[in-house]
Amino acid sequence: MSDARIDGYARAMYEIAQAEGVVNEVEKELYTLARAIESNEQLRNALTDESLPVERRQTIVEQLLGGKASTVTTQLVSFIVGSGRGRELPAIADKLSKRASSESHREVAEVRSSVALTPEQQQRLSDALTKATGKQINLKIIIDPLVLGGLVATVGDTVIDGTVRTRLDQLKSRL
Amino acid sequence: MNIFTSIFIASEAVGPPETHSWIWPERAEIVYGCTASIIIFIALFKFGGPVIKKGLSARTERIQKDLDSGKNDKASAQAEATSIRAALGDIAAERTRILAEADAQAAALLTEGRARITTEMAGLEQKAEADIAAAAARSGDELRAEIAQLAGVATERVVSSSLDDSTKQALIENFISNVGAAR
Repeated sequence: MSDARIDGYARAMYEIAQAEGVVNEVEKELYTLARAIESNEQLRNALTDESLPVERRQTIVEQLLGGKASTVTTQLVSFIVGSGRGRELPAIADKLSKRASSESHREVAEVRSSVALTPEQQQRLSDALTKATGKQINLKIIIDPLVLGGLVATVGDTVIDGTVRTRLDQLKSRL
Repeated sequence: MNIFTSIFIASEAVGPPETHSWIWPERAEIVYGCTASIIIFIALFKFGGPVIKKGLSARTERIQKDLDSGKNDKASAQAEATSIRAALGDIAAERTRILAEADAQAAALLTEGRARITTEMAGLEQKAEADIAAAAARSGDELRAEIAQLAGVATERVVSSSLDDSTKQALIENFISNVGAAR
């Protein structure tokens, strides 16, 4: 899909979430769902399989998000999947997240960790990143077992890597 | 009976003539005979002499010519023999020269071939040594790469197994502290 179309979908979803007053909630849920779609091939195939009827794909979305996400998020995702744009959902979610961050004068910080962070850790991490980059941070935590341990934070073009995976890769390179 | 038989019979009937001497013929016969003989000799001398002289001269000339021709042939044969002998000598010299030249060429070819083979052998030995060195280095590199890969895998497994929750939390706390202290 073209960037203009992705921008269009992201803008429309943001406007709806803003009108409903659930921008932060929708943005977080969409971001989490986008990462899940990226990492889960079976889910990605189920949501983008053109051979499945639209109703069937929307049912999958409702079963997947029902009770776990807000109604607005579920309906927006169902609309995207029903429009045959399930493959572009991660890109749309990223655009929406950046737009929401931009509107609130914040920068998206994507943090990958092998384990979940407590709210207190997230707050301290957000403060640390704000201090390090001089920008207000919209923290996005992604659970990624491949990092093994530690964290890697990406803020715009800046990458702060403190993962065991990177240390191991560096060790392998030296070997 | 033919005419010759009739003459013979007639002569037999007359009988043989008789002379005055049993040695000398009749005088008239002598006179006539001598005269006729002189005339014949004169005629012979006058008419046959030049012819005989010419014939003798021609014979002499022919014999001389034959002699000259034989002499020339002899000289020619001697010259030919000399040239053949010279040619034989030349052939021997040429044979010697060709043999010497062939020997020289063979010696040069042998020397050149030995030099070329020596050079090629040196090149081959150098290439073989370089190949052996490269193979050894490659094997060493491959071995080192394999050891490094195995060490990397082993390290990853050891590290992964040693990363318990407390260690992971410690790493997270360490990251937050380091990022917060960055500025």
